[in-house]
Amino acid sequence: MIELIIIGIIIAVAAVLVYFYNRIMVLSNRISNAWSQIDVQLKKRTDLVPNLVESVKGYMKHEKNVFEMVTKARENMMKAGTVQEKAKANNMLSNALKTIFALAENYPILKANENFLMLQEELSGIENKIAYARQFYNDSVLEFNNMVTTVPGIWFANIMSKQSKPYFEVTESERKPVKVSF
Amino acid sequence: MEKISFHDQIVRNKRNSVFLMIFVLAFTVLIGFVIGEIYDPSIALLFIIAAAIIGIAQVSYSYYNGDKMVLKITNARPANTIDVKEKHLENVVEGLAIAAGIKAPKVYVIDSEEMNAFATGRSPENSSVAITTGLLNKLNREELEGVIAHELSHVRNYDIRFATFIAIAVGLVAILSYFFMRSMWFGGGRHDSRERGSSAGLIIIVGLILAIVAPILVRLIQMAISRQREYLADASSAQLTRYPVGLANALAKIKNVNKGNMDVPEAISHLFFVDPTKTYLDSLYATHPPIEKRIEILRKM
Repeated sequence: MIELIIIGIIIAVAAVLVYFYNRIMVLSNRISNAWSQIDVQLKKRTDLVPNLVESVKGYMKHEKNVFEMVTKARENMMKAGTVQEKAKANNMLSNALKTIFALAENYPILKANENFLMLQEELSGIENKIAYARQFYNDSVLEFNNMVTTVPGIWFANIMSKQSKPYFEVTESERKPVKVSF
Repeated sequence: MEKISFHDQIVRNKRNSVFLMIFVLAFTVLIGFVIGEIYDPSIALLFIIAAAIIGIAQVSYSYYNGDKMVLKITNARPANTIDVKEKHLENVVEGLAIAAGIKAPKVYVIDSEEMNAFATGRSPENSSVAITTGLLNKLNREELEGVIAHELSHVRNYDIRFATFIAIAVGLVAILSYFFMRSMWFGGGRHDSRERGSSAGLIIIVGLILAIVAPILVRLIQMAISRQREYLADASSAQLTRYPVGLANALAKIKNVNKGNMDVPEAISHLFFVDPTKTYLDSLYATHPPIEKRIEILRKM
């Protein structure tokens, strides 16, 4: 009888261990997956920016500043390594692109250009995809962090040396609207 | 709580799809059996085997090609990504697919003034969404996102598998019943009924009842599944876009614009975002909850 109870306890403990191990792994993998979604979009956008600059340069001859801003932001983007750095560079690039599109409103010829419209659609599509990928990523991080910072998940997380992960976020100072100067 | 019910929904859809497949298969075999009995009882077994083979072929064919059939019937064409509007649509679908954490479905467009959309396929990996040009032209981005997110939640929780299969089942059962009635007409006259005794008469009656009841039964299933899951998909849509007002506004526009005269068979009407056809049978066979009610729920979120 006592053997049965011991076996029962062992099985129960093993089941709990397996459950928490798998749960933490699943959540952690989901974050990697979510992160790669963001990364793909960031890369796509970085690749598209030169095309955009090339196609509007000829029309917007007096807007040198904005092109410098975009080029700078793109360089930062390519240098960024960690999640926070990428989030920061991403915001910079987003703002720079917004400025270009806001300025483009003043150039009717540009607004009639099929090529430009397509680029604009493509870039704003990517912008939205980044927003959604960020939403999915942050949701995944929230779930993971809740798991590894509360009892009993925290014990398993320590054994598996898993720590809470950073959010992909916009800081307050960067969230202010874009200023367009004419 | 939400997670569990979402998972349950997937399990339920997969299980119901299997039940429906078995139902269609059993119905085919039964029809084969009854026809065999009427035509020539000595080779009835052959009829059963033939019917079983046909049944399995039907079921597996519709499992793999049901979505293509539905797309064909609705005259959906792949989105033309050279067009800025349709490229925009594709971007919205891909963006929301990322938010939902699924592979982006293939995007199709239906040339129609009516505002409507549907999703089909057998799994999130093999899925398609189709949007009418009316919808694409008249909705702004937030509204379009609301509708697409609604369709993607059907994709994500396997509603599409069950719903596509129901569409096929409605069609198949109707065809089989018709076929059966015809064979009764011809086969029934060949033999002198006195030779076969009363058991044959009983089989014929059972067959007749089946042929009449089965189509009604699948219609009832079609009707019952749709309403509840439309509310559920509306709620998941709001969860994805974090903006229920977008979907509510889209529904309000659709209510004003749609005439309910899309050229689609009743068998697939339950797949659509809103009922594509307005018929006098709607009060009996309504496959969709009333639009006003959906708007009201969304506005309260």
